[in-house]
Amino acid sequence: MRDTIVIGAGLAGLMGALTLAEAGRAPLLLAKGLGATHWTSGTIDIWGKHAAASPRAEIAELIAKQPSHPFAKIGLEGISNALERFRALMADAHYPYVGSIERNLLLPTALGALRPAALVPTTMIGGDMSHAKDDGRITLIAGFRELGDFFPPLVAANLSAQGIPARGVYLHLPPIKRKLSFDSRVFAQLFDDAAFREEIGRQLRLMKGEATRIGLPAVLGLKDPVGVVRELQHLSGAQVFEIPTLPPSVPGIRLYRIFRRAIQQAGGRLQIGAEVLRGESEGKQLRAVFTAAAAREQEHRANAFLLATGGVAGGGIRTDHTGAVWETALDLPLRAPDSRGGWFHGRYFAEGGHPIFQVAVATDAQLRPLDANDQPIYHNVAVAGSTIANFDPIRARCYSGLAITSGWYAGTLLAQQ
Amino acid sequence: MRQITTDVLVIGGGATGLGVLRDLSMRGIRAVLVEKGDLTHGTSGRYHGLLHSGGRYVVKDPQSATECARENEILRKIMPGCIEDTGGFFVVTPADDEAYAERFVAACHATEVPVDEISVREALRREPLLNPRISRVFTVCDAAADSFLAARCHAEDARQRGAQVFTYHYVKSLIVEQQRVQGAICEDLRTGEDVHIHAAYVVNAAGAWAGKIAELANVKVTVVPGKGTMIAMNHRVLNTVVNRCKMPADGDIIVPIRTVAVIGTTDVHVPDPDVYGITQEEVAQMLEEGEWLVPGISKARVLRAWAGVRPLYKDHDVASDRDISRTYKLLDHEQRDGVAGLISIVGGKWTTYRLMAEEATDAVAAKLGVSAPCRTHLEPLPEIASARDSASRRLERDPRAPTYFWMGQPLARVEAADTYGELICECELVTRERVVTAITEGHAANLDDLRRETRLGMGPCQGGFCTYRAVALWNEVAPPQANNSAVGDVLALANSGALLRHFLQERWKGLTAITWGDQLRQTRLDELIFLDTLGVDLLPHDEGQQPADSLVTDHPSIATEYHAS
Repeated sequence: MRDTIVIGAGLAGLMGALTLAEAGRAPLLLAKGLGATHWTSGTIDIWGKHAAASPRAEIAELIAKQPSHPFAKIGLEGISNALERFRALMADAHYPYVGSIERNLLLPTALGALRPAALVPTTMIGGDMSHAKDDGRITLIAGFRELGDFFPPLVAANLSAQGIPARGVYLHLPPIKRKLSFDSRVFAQLFDDAAFREEIGRQLRLMKGEATRIGLPAVLGLKDPVGVVRELQHLSGAQVFEIPTLPPSVPGIRLYRIFRRAIQQAGGRLQIGAEVLRGESEGKQLRAVFTAAAAREQEHRANAFLLATGGVAGGGIRTDHTGAVWETALDLPLRAPDSRGGWFHGRYFAEGGHPIFQVAVATDAQLRPLDANDQPIYHNVAVAGSTIANFDPIRARCYSGLAITSGWYAGTLLAQQ
Repeated sequence: MRQITTDVLVIGGGATGLGVLRDLSMRGIRAVLVEKGDLTHGTSGRYHGLLHSGGRYVVKDPQSATECARENEILRKIMPGCIEDTGGFFVVTPADDEAYAERFVAACHATEVPVDEISVREALRREPLLNPRISRVFTVCDAAADSFLAARCHAEDARQRGAQVFTYHYVKSLIVEQQRVQGAICEDLRTGEDVHIHAAYVVNAAGAWAGKIAELANVKVTVVPGKGTMIAMNHRVLNTVVNRCKMPADGDIIVPIRTVAVIGTTDVHVPDPDVYGITQEEVAQMLEEGEWLVPGISKARVLRAWAGVRPLYKDHDVASDRDISRTYKLLDHEQRDGVAGLISIVGGKWTTYRLMAEEATDAVAAKLGVSAPCRTHLEPLPEIASARDSASRRLERDPRAPTYFWMGQPLARVEAADTYGELICECELVTRERVVTAITEGHAANLDDLRRETRLGMGPCQGGFCTYRAVALWNEVAPPQANNSAVGDVLALANSGALLRHFLQERWKGLTAITWGDQLRQTRLDELIFLDTLGVDLLPHDEGQQPADSLVTDHPSIATEYHAS
């Protein structure tokens, strides 16, 4: 028997597991597979709806107006504490994050749009375009033709159109032995190689012209990305920053690896490939969960459980053609539209998103799951991440922020039990 | 205002219109074709992709069956590259009347539709996922056809023979003088400019829209738009076209096309070919019917639902639209209505487009005093540049290379050219070279056109990854024309943002009726990519503003209204 069990390996589950591990509650993390970390940009977004300038101001207003909002339960202090813990973890791993909840940074996307984010890895901070319209600097965007998910001319054209002077160039891939195909991971491995970095740095110096900052796809190594950026800055003579690309996300992989190591060092254990199928309870106590295994279901008992299996994207909420919508691990009740007819808006870009992506497990102030009468179903279960998002966290631009803060909060609450 | 003078104006850029255009130009008659959208924007681009053996019509519509059987044989010879020779089955499932099978075989013989019977065991050996409870299996010459590619081959061939093709040209009015149609006034939807096309003869090949065109000459042609809804499943569950051996009905056929399988179709009368929706009930019905052919198919992922409108010509009162003959009709409006200079070619189906074109062209040629005979059944279609890349040209030199399209062909091309790293669309194996060629040498005005031209984004991920790449390539190889760079940048922004917004909204129409389970999850992953990581919604744009000129599919004249359902 374990003391605590965390279900889900996305940012919410990882943050929850780390919090429990550091509180001496030796969590076992069970997950069907890797979480959405590998799909997302690696920045921590707290609130960016309508290009919000200050997440803190928006969250404060939200807390005042919507007491049932997940952020209202966590509270501003909880959010700050969670972010501080996250920041300390990343600093310890030599992959520090900068920024704050006070002001959103504006980072260029691989499309050249400007995306708000609260905390970003230092490898990306050079891309903050908050003041770029009047700072008189020229930006060079550089990439590789071989990397099909990053197109410097497009990024540069769209930045220029928004009043940020930029130029896009392709670098020459140095002769290398391997590879039929290149994705972001392959490039990250190439950047871990000193000779490769040197050659790219040389090309950047030659191509930079009047540019004083250089944006590259977020593939600058898995081992020591901060060191790679430093070295490229030294070689090129310009500020270098990363721009997130399409999945698989190298910054997301870095996050996952840092969390995994920290959880293990603090006495936790991760079991990926273990899908939780159901739970067993006694009264208001969840006693055990069961995972799929080759011969028979495997039983995992614990005193407390943290559920962070995600929403529709993460796989925590599933649907079928009859219009049924269910929570996959514990079959917790959901508040969903009555039929498929109510799932979508006709317009893809509908403000606020589509109703099906706002289906969530209702929770009380301690993030315990609630039944239809608003009574807690289990006293020893806390739910975190997209599973409790009764709004669209992608459109509110707080997908990663909700995960980190609610994962930390749920872990903290369970650790106190 | 532009003025164009020609011998014959063809209205409609679907299979029939393009067939007429090619036939006319092969007989040395000058011709111009106008289409309000992209080529195959209408029904030719929205059907299940079946090259009919004729089997579906042998009992109910024998004339149509015979036409299909004859044309099937011809099309296989003139455009093998557009056809995958899947063969077809007619199977008797437990839900079907056993007695129909005998009528079916007799009718096949009577209509000259080639048919054979094979054992259930042999059928299951060939198609292991087929319902094992079927009792009889008949083989026919059904095949899967690429109607997008076929249309482009026709246009290219006609162009080489001197014909002109104008897409995104909307017919505003016909020029009628002294009871004679003398041409048409069109609007070029890309520029807003009026184009006067003067012609000795006008061929109305507008399919489901033929009634609307005829109306412009005050002639009544009743076309019943019969909506057919189809759904694409994410697995190619069968390699053979499989039909239920029964009277044609809803959801009784599965057609394997490239990497997917298409279940078709419904038949619902809609009041207007431009206004229709896809209901969840239709989708549910097709999945349910599909279970009789491939048990478990309803558990697979549905990638997309779409609908086309059959251009059924209503001659006299018939009770149900399914009872309207699938055959075609040539209407000489001089004889029929006293309006000279106009003929309409209505009804029919993709498989018989060439025959329809031949008959229409015969009529026009006779009016113009041209005696050259039809040769479209003899001369193969040329291949077109955007459908081929350097690798395939190398491959074609191999005398062993099959003439029909085959499933492994795209991969073989990629392997032959060692272009794995050049794949823009991994699902449909579309290389960078083909996308670039389609943008620079083709006539694509937006990503939807690019999809029809290259099949980009038609596989399981439905454009989740390749769309961003295609937009970026578009920006690189076809930068907006402008005199100074500042204006050029603004256009670039409008273009890439608008291209993506248009694509995502268009795709959304086909997704809402079929999205649940894993496909809903994929949709959410796409939101993570397009909204969270790329920030499509963050690019400055103006809701009320007209999209960039390259995005004419949003033009009210050609946009299809879907009912929210």
